Amino acid sequence: MSRSITLGQYFPGQSMIHCLNPRMKLLSLLLVLVLLFSLQTYLGLATLLLIAIFLIVTTRVPMRYFLRGLRPVLYIAIFALVIYFFFTSGGVVLLRIGFITVESEGVREGIFIILRLISLVFFSLLLTLTTTPLSLTHGLGYFLRPLRYIGLPTEEVAMIMAIALRFIPTLMEESQRLMRAQLSRGADFETGSIFKRAKSLIPLIVPLFVSAFRRADELALAMEARGYRIGATRTRIHEDLIAPRDWAALGMVLGLLVASLVLGL
Amino acid sequence: MIEARNLAYYYPGEEETSLPALSGINLAVRRGEYLALLGPNGSGKTTLLKLFNALLTPSEGEVWVKGISTVDEDKITEVRRYCGMIFQNPDNQLVATTVEEDIAFGLENLALPSAEIKEKVIDVASLLGLDHLLQQPPHLLSGGEKQRVAIAGVLAMQPHCILMDEPTAMLDPAGRRDVIETVGRLNREQDLAVIHVTHFPEEAVFADRVIILNQGSLVTQGPPEIVFNDLKLLHSLGLQGPAAVELAALLRKDGFDLPSQLIHCRELVNSLCSLERKS
Amino acid sequence: MFIGTEKLTHTYMPGTPFANEALKEVTFDVKQGEFVLVIGPSGSGKSTLIQHLNGILKPSSGKVYFDGNAIGSDKGELFKLRRRVGLVFQMPEEHFFSETVYDEVAFAPRNLGFDESEVQIRVTSALEEVGLNAETLAERHPFQISAGQKRLVALASVLSLNPEVLILDEPTAGLDSSGRRNLFSLLTRLNRSKGLTVLICTHHLDEVAALADSVLVLHHGRLIFNGLAGEIFSRREQLYELGLGLPAVTEILFGLSEKGMKVRTDIYTLEGARLEINKVKRRHEK
Repeated sequence: MSRSITLGQYFPGQSMIHCLNPRMKLLSLLLVLVLLFSLQTYLGLATLLLIAIFLIVTTRVPMRYFLRGLRPVLYIAIFALVIYFFFTSGGVVLLRIGFITVESEGVREGIFIILRLISLVFFSLLLTLTTTPLSLTHGLGYFLRPLRYIGLPTEEVAMIMAIALRFIPTLMEESQRLMRAQLSRGADFETGSIFKRAKSLIPLIVPLFVSAFRRADELALAMEARGYRIGATRTRIHEDLIAPRDWAALGMVLGLLVASLVLGL
Repeated sequence: MIEARNLAYYYPGEEETSLPALSGINLAVRRGEYLALLGPNGSGKTTLLKLFNALLTPSEGEVWVKGISTVDEDKITEVRRYCGMIFQNPDNQLVATTVEEDIAFGLENLALPSAEIKEKVIDVASLLGLDHLLQQPPHLLSGGEKQRVAIAGVLAMQPHCILMDEPTAMLDPAGRRDVIETVGRLNREQDLAVIHVTHFPEEAVFADRVIILNQGSLVTQGPPEIVFNDLKLLHSLGLQGPAAVELAALLRKDGFDLPSQLIHCRELVNSLCSLERKS
Repeated sequence: MFIGTEKLTHTYMPGTPFANEALKEVTFDVKQGEFVLVIGPSGSGKSTLIQHLNGILKPSSGKVYFDGNAIGSDKGELFKLRRRVGLVFQMPEEHFFSETVYDEVAFAPRNLGFDESEVQIRVTSALEEVGLNAETLAERHPFQISAGQKRLVALASVLSLNPEVLILDEPTAGLDSSGRRNLFSLLTRLNRSKGLTVLICTHHLDEVAALADSVLVLHHGRLIFNGLAGEIFSRREQLYELGLGLPAVTEILFGLSEKGMKVRTDIYTLEGARLEINKVKRRHEK
């Protein structure tokens, strides 16, 4: 049931990438994305993809998780491939079928987009499969902290996100139970017009909201009872330390970026 | 250690209209004492608990915790550190995504250094047998385990008293046993005072003192053998005594000469057997 | 077989690393009019089992039967099934969503296609059946009645289907002792006078052990004991090992029996224990 819900697909491990600081991983991903779209050669893109695969192996997360991540972009990839292959002109004509031509530029762009998409998915998954959703949230929260100076309650927003992550599996379990309870009373969520189906959701939405508010009340009380105060300084059990290896990792990504620009890749 | 003097409480907006939630409460809780708090629904048990850890402040009278008044806003965090609270719904008091982080929550609120927090969490987790669960997310734990995590979270703050609001109401018998044994052990070994609100008289028979509330007033208090044997009072409030007490009362009417302050099942068994041997 | 299963197996999330075989080849059959308890520790599969009996869950393998026929997956068939087999979930008042008690109780019959005049008859009789005054309560908001009344309204909202079988998951969770006694005596009445077949999943054996005809004991998804109440409750050690407990009075009788007193131990009520102990005394005096 809710055992399946491991949010953000985090796969536990102790690999080099698992142990990198989440903030550094986020920054690195950003730089890699810049790199991804600035590379203009087969060599450059292929090398980047090979680097991604090498890193995947070091994480010891089974390859099938990464391959599964490709599935959603499969259709986009095929669509893009078709567009580029058959409708982009430039360079040498390679094939002619009736009035449709396949030209070398189109083929090049098509292959590039595939390589970019695969690398994009792999690098993103390298982040989400090796970093817990909570660490990611805190990492993002760090970068949003300057917004505190324009009045945004960033600490509290971070707490809100963390609580949301904590309760998503619980709420999913509850809504499943609720649906079964209403089905037992003859509810039908599938047949009828759009209006009828929307109306049939009321017995799901109302109790969920009522229960969510009650939970929030009880949780707030429990938090206060353990000394939580809005605006007070809090520490964290896991410090977000930046170790030399984090700088090294960031440095390497920067190095790659610079090298590719210099080498004209 | 905790003292309530002439305590009264009205819910906001109900001062003139209805009866107070609590009135005329005078109570003292000693260090290491195990108190059971019983009473019909609406008698003010939960309200009293919340007044002890400053979640609520008195409408009349005072509450003192280790010499600190609960209306002292600067010292609220200290009061809540001294009096930790466990709630009825195991889910709705776990706030973090892993057991380890949840136990750390209170310590994080106290802004302790990270290394100290880690140490305290490990100590408390091992005391409560949670070591192997530290990385687990709360939704994968059983009810009893969740309550133990809640207890760990409170214990990490080194309280002098644990307030428990029907902590076993939503648990199965194994979970109930788990929680009651854990808290009993903490009470004995760590000299931790406990105030335990419950609907199950069986959970209260090992308490040092039993307090009964009704409609906001303290009706009676005393050792369990005395309070629970006043069945007339209990029944008038819609409460049941422990099974052994109820059965003993019926048997006494039938002419069995049983001791008057019996509360445990084995006491009843032993008394009946010795009566049989005599005859 | 009136209602039951044959080698029922249910696996959640099959084929994934999270696959969980919640039920393993469970076979049982309940006769019409029986009062059955389904007991077992948390996670033993009790809730999973009962959710098969009204077609909410489908077996991974094996069959579920009602009134001689296997339950299929045809939607129309399932609707008809839910008219005859009512299932009340745990803490059912948390599933309220209507603005009046009337509408809440009317939800089920309306869903099943009864016209408004029929619905009204059913709502009124369901409320009265659970001991509530339909006139005063019908227009009240379901969130504004007492906890005990809420539970009864939730029960009425399934009884308004006029089911032949009533299945309840922890019907007394959260109720105080008088609420529990009230509910169980209501269920007994429905079983004895109306012939309703009743299945109850519960941890609290105190008030209900005496009412059961037979008992099913689940552990880790397997049906390990299945028999008449007296027989199952005599397995005190085994039940204790499973984290289940007998009613306190029964424990007292066992205690006496262990010390050599010749008392019956298949008694689960206070009055029953009293009578039994008196019987022993009289026997001695003779």
